[in-house]
Amino acid sequence: MTVQIFDPTIEPKGRKIAYVPRPKSLAGLRVGLVDNSKHNSDQLLLRIAGLLESEHGMKAHVMRRKKSAGIPPSPEIISEFKAGCDVVVAGVGD
Amino acid sequence: MQLQSRHYDAPDMAEAMELCYAKGWTDGLPVVPPTAERINAMLAMVKLEPDKQIAFIENRQVSVTAEKVAINAVLAGCRPEYMPVVVAAVEALADPLYGYHGPATSTGGSAVLMIVNGPIARELDMNCGDNLFGPGWRANATIGRAVRLVMRNTIGTLPGELDRSSLGHPGKYTFCIAENEVESPWPPLHVDRGFKREQNAVTIMAALGVHQYSNGLSNTPEGVLTTACAQMRVSAGTARKPYYALVFAGEHMAVIAKAGWSRDDVKRYCVEHTQISVAELKRINLRDGAITAEDETTLVSLVHEPNDFLVVMAGGLAGVQSAYIPGWGGRNGSQAVTKEIHRP
Repeated sequence: MTVQIFDPTIEPKGRKIAYVPRPKSLAGLRVGLVDNSKHNSDQLLLRIAGLLESEHGMKAHVMRRKKSAGIPPSPEIISEFKAGCDVVVAGVGD
Repeated sequence: MQLQSRHYDAPDMAEAMELCYAKGWTDGLPVVPPTAERINAMLAMVKLEPDKQIAFIENRQVSVTAEKVAINAVLAGCRPEYMPVVVAAVEALADPLYGYHGPATSTGGSAVLMIVNGPIARELDMNCGDNLFGPGWRANATIGRAVRLVMRNTIGTLPGELDRSSLGHPGKYTFCIAENEVESPWPPLHVDRGFKREQNAVTIMAALGVHQYSNGLSNTPEGVLTTACAQMRVSAGTARKPYYALVFAGEHMAVIAKAGWSRDDVKRYCVEHTQISVAELKRINLRDGAITAEDETTLVSLVHEPNDFLVVMAGGLAGVQSAYIPGWGGRNGSQAVTKEIHRP
């Protein structure tokens, strides 16, 4: 006798995200760094900021630390970046 | 009830089970083929329409419906009367305080520890005694398994994909216990967390493995807890201040009860006696930097606050064993969450 079974999986619904236009040049722009709180993440980000400044002419950086790698930055951090940064570097990994 | 999910035909029940494997819907163990009759029996038990949203996982943009929870509960081998517990646990997964993305995805590899409280635990014959974390009870085995299958099949928490656990642990098959409310000297855990005794509730915690300790020498709470604290002090291996579940089994519980200690007494003692110096954290490579003289006398706590210890009585009445279970990561990334179990 044929058995009919039902699919337990879900396809995630798509969500459109509007990206800010990418800057044509980084020269003179301010970079924000999202420290994900893992060991050495601040060191890695400072190296990246150094390269962005020395090779691409970015002019300043501000680094803020998340409470945990698995959660988004706090609204305060996001507000600060929106107000004071043109480009933000964020990432997570081990 | 009209089900919306895609469906497939198999020539017989054995082939239907194989089809579930072929589709990638199982945790490696055989599953019960989810037929319309079985799915509808699950939904009838909670009186929910198939399209009712049980959880919305923000970062995945996934809406987990009652129908999908029911299908996965069937796969796991649940009886329909278990469905309210599964639903409540899935609701808890989506609570922002639980922070699904971190513990589900992390290389740190946590499972979802579920502690069921209230009359429903006894009505469902949930194990709160011998072999607490072991096999043998259908409700414990299949409720926990159903939650993990929901994570796998609806939220995409697949090993090697969005579940990047380096090691994982066996609790990722199922990790569901009840508290021994009848013999515990304390109010049930869910009462400690703000619910009424007659309510049914499930508490979830992103949890690492069970750490058992043995102490057959002490006849005081301080003696038993000294053993626990000595091991807990560094056990989570991160110094990130996670939750800890403390499970006291029979003889240890009797020692603590006889001395008249409350659950809060246990929490306070453990907070005080699990502090560790910054110097020691540096020596064991849980904190970086050179050790200073000040580090030797600067103490840090294992947890943020006493209530980050979830303290329950459960396990066999015989034996000098108890256990602690470190939470995943830190409280900043994931908190224990308690949800009421609704039975319409």
